[in-house]
Amino acid sequence: MERRDFIKLTAVTGTSAALASCGNPEHQLIRFVPEEDIIPGIAAWKPSVCPVCSAGCAVNARVMDADIETVRNGQRGVVRMNVAKKLEGLPKDPISRGGLCARGQAAIQITYHPDRIAQPLKREGARGTGQFKAIGWDEAIAELVSKLDALAASNDQKSLAIVARPRRSRRSELLAEFARRFGGPPPIAFDLFGDDVLRRANAISFGHDQLPTFDLAQARYLIGFGADFLGTWNSPVAQNAAYGEMRQGRPGIRGRFVQVESRMTTTGASADEWIPVKPGTEGVLALGLVHLMNRGPERTAPQAAAASRADAARPFQGGDDEYTPQRVEQITGVPAKRVERIAKELAELRPAVAIVGGPPLAHTNAMFTALAVNALNTALGSVNQPGGIFFTPGAAIQGPAPSPQTPYTSLGTAKVLLIDDANPVYTSPTAWKVKDAIANIPFIASFASFVDDTSVFADLILPDHSFLESWVQSSAESGSLEAASTVAEPVMKPIHNTRATPEVLIEVAGKLKAPVSLPWKDAEELAKSAQPPATSNQRPATSNQRPATSPRPPASSPRFEEPRFDGDAAQYPFHFLPYLSPAFGDGSSAHLPWLQEMPDAMTSAMWSSWVEMNPQTAQKLKVRDGDLVDLTSTQGTLRVPAVIFPGIAPDIVAMPVGQGHEHFTRYASGRGANAISLIAPIAEPETGAVAWAATRVKVARAADANGTLILFAAEMRERPHEYKVR
Amino acid sequence: MPHRWGMAVDLDRCTGCGACVTACHAENNIPTVGDSQAARGRAMHWIRVERYWEGEYPDVTLKFRPVMCQQCDAAPCEPVCPTYASHHTDEGLNAQIYNRCIGTRYCANACPYNVRFFDFFHPQWPKPLDAQLNPDVSVREVGVMEKCTFCVQRIHAAAIDAKAANRELKDGEIQPACVQSCSAKALVFGDLNDPESEVSKLSRSDRGHKLLDDLGTLPKVTYLNRPQA
Repeated sequence: MERRDFIKLTAVTGTSAALASCGNPEHQLIRFVPEEDIIPGIAAWKPSVCPVCSAGCAVNARVMDADIETVRNGQRGVVRMNVAKKLEGLPKDPISRGGLCARGQAAIQITYHPDRIAQPLKREGARGTGQFKAIGWDEAIAELVSKLDALAASNDQKSLAIVARPRRSRRSELLAEFARRFGGPPPIAFDLFGDDVLRRANAISFGHDQLPTFDLAQARYLIGFGADFLGTWNSPVAQNAAYGEMRQGRPGIRGRFVQVESRMTTTGASADEWIPVKPGTEGVLALGLVHLMNRGPERTAPQAAAASRADAARPFQGGDDEYTPQRVEQITGVPAKRVERIAKELAELRPAVAIVGGPPLAHTNAMFTALAVNALNTALGSVNQPGGIFFTPGAAIQGPAPSPQTPYTSLGTAKVLLIDDANPVYTSPTAWKVKDAIANIPFIASFASFVDDTSVFADLILPDHSFLESWVQSSAESGSLEAASTVAEPVMKPIHNTRATPEVLIEVAGKLKAPVSLPWKDAEELAKSAQPPATSNQRPATSNQRPATSPRPPASSPRFEEPRFDGDAAQYPFHFLPYLSPAFGDGSSAHLPWLQEMPDAMTSAMWSSWVEMNPQTAQKLKVRDGDLVDLTSTQGTLRVPAVIFPGIAPDIVAMPVGQGHEHFTRYASGRGANAISLIAPIAEPETGAVAWAATRVKVARAADANGTLILFAAEMRERPHEYKVR
Repeated sequence: MPHRWGMAVDLDRCTGCGACVTACHAENNIPTVGDSQAARGRAMHWIRVERYWEGEYPDVTLKFRPVMCQQCDAAPCEPVCPTYASHHTDEGLNAQIYNRCIGTRYCANACPYNVRFFDFFHPQWPKPLDAQLNPDVSVREVGVMEKCTFCVQRIHAAAIDAKAANRELKDGEIQPACVQSCSAKALVFGDLNDPESEVSKLSRSDRGHKLLDDLGTLPKVTYLNRPQA
């Protein structure tokens, strides 16, 4: 055999051997030509904005090449792409300053989630069963256009409803413009755990309809009222950065931190002194401190602040006179001596600042509490002062104004519903019957990336790009002492057959029989478009604009009223405190496996729902760690495992929000229970915000531990209560 | 003089937020194991946040402590390894060579800090979750032991960059993933052989202590106490 023949022969046999190994269908995938320049193994860094919470941290994505399975022209194959590998904080961003929280780190899994919706879907089975078939974009857009045309033809534009996530970006504006120009009502953007009470109180006290920013780095004394500002509230990454500086950033000076709350949060765990109070009485303690600063022996504080100190309590009925240490003790349960000592510390250690948020502002008397803490800040002279409380300039509030108490009433008459990045079925109190209302709407289109509790009802799903594949824009409401606005181009090309929702809406608007013209041509132009010419802290003119802001008096001069609770105290002896999960927030990131498997900082629980109770309470109910208990409110019953939790009052039980999704990918579906379903829809009277901490429950032992409570390294440590592994 | 990598953990800055835990998963291709395996104690967290409750309500306190491999100078995990998979590098790291490891798990038994994790099964990332895998870090197969490396891939990358530019490594130039994510700056990484490095200064702090110091493991991680208030 000649050498040439030998080579020919081996080439043929080699090829056929290679082909024979293609039994695995994965190996038969076609390799497409890359659509971009690839430099193997070399990382590039591209900025974007984290979409997980409303803080709007800028992130830096590490981009490298990877093989992605994809579909091109109907053919499945593999293409080498530049894709995001890791998210870090963007060092030059005034909010994240290079740091990033656990949820932000995990946000990359949104893009690569195995259950992400990869192409437009049309409902196939009965509504709510989650059976869809894949369709093309042309068909999907034509379908949505025809439904909107039908509304317009019957002159029924008012029956269009849009439910969107409350966002501080131009996308809210696009949705509002779409609704307005089509002739429908403004979009519903509702956050059950939103901060409307605090914004309204800040408008009253300081003339800023906005969440505050705290200059913790320069503070020497910090008193927190319920706000989990190091975990879930407002702008946690920025607040963590400033907090670290407050503690150890100044040689010889260590800021002192006192936290007042009813259940210890991760924030409370970091405090030097943790002061439990009766739920809904936090404002009384704040005014008691104002009273002592005015009347007590601590009046020697700086003269300059004397005037503002005297004024601080003026808005309150009867001033601060009523709030003597003895009365504070009576109402809050904090000993008078302790109140006096805190007041003394506040007078000595300046600058001092107070923070309020979370459960204290989720009671029926929330406005009083917020105004009382604002008065404390005024009395401390901390407003717009180094080490005090600021309002980020230029953070014009965009999007729709806060919704009334039952924001979803209009769904009852809607004929077409568009859902953008919101999950109202999951995040609404049971009594609102949002699920029934949505199930009865004739046509629902969703822009969801995942089939969740709400989008499972959709007739049509037009999946959006992930944030890493999109133009992103954010202007932060708080977290930075300077104005912070970010616009960034897509970090990577889309890996699925998805389309940017703004561009879908623009296309749909243009294809209507009576076309609606929107002032942007694509997502890039929308993200880059200039801020509306609103003066600072004023909303753009929309149909349901809130009045402009200057310090304005509250409806009536506030005074303390006992908080009202749903459920009779005799029948429902426990306060029920749902709280935002550090991993899942309001449940919107429960589908990310890293967050499911991240042990909770306070309990080490993973992949679980649980209810926290005081050891005494547990003993009375004969409940051990992991035993199942039934929690019953006037709204229903949940069966969840118990965690014995030392940092909670004996008459309170607390439960993290975030689990209990009926539908939310393989990682979250059917896991645990939804705490929101127990919340009675009581309203804070001035804003209509839901008083989500004002529900009472009864607790009964239901069964032995069945393994649904999963603790990290449970078997490795000593535990006072026996725990069984499934 | 070779480097001697160490870390300082300021417990007064740490707020228990868990960013380091997730950042470590993202950087080091650590698989999630799912609920039923997690219930069997097989969840892998190279860094974890421990909690210590003290007292009874209402006088109750909780302290957090992030715990990762302490990179001991007298590491109990190293001499017990029959295959030298667990060994000491000349920069002081307790390294694990995965393809030498035969899964005896002696090292995990010997480690007093419980920071070594065994791969009970072949890791799985349902597509396209695998696209996120860090190409700089090898994925561990079933049957080997894995642990915190102080993000050795980042140390090597920075060292190569510095050598290419013909300069010395700068203090703070190397940030393991946990350090980079920490917004409160509770974690500081650097060279303990450089007395001027941030980590050296912090390690000399009078608030400093080592975890389980009396065992004589000579950890290179120093914890800085949260002052008693």
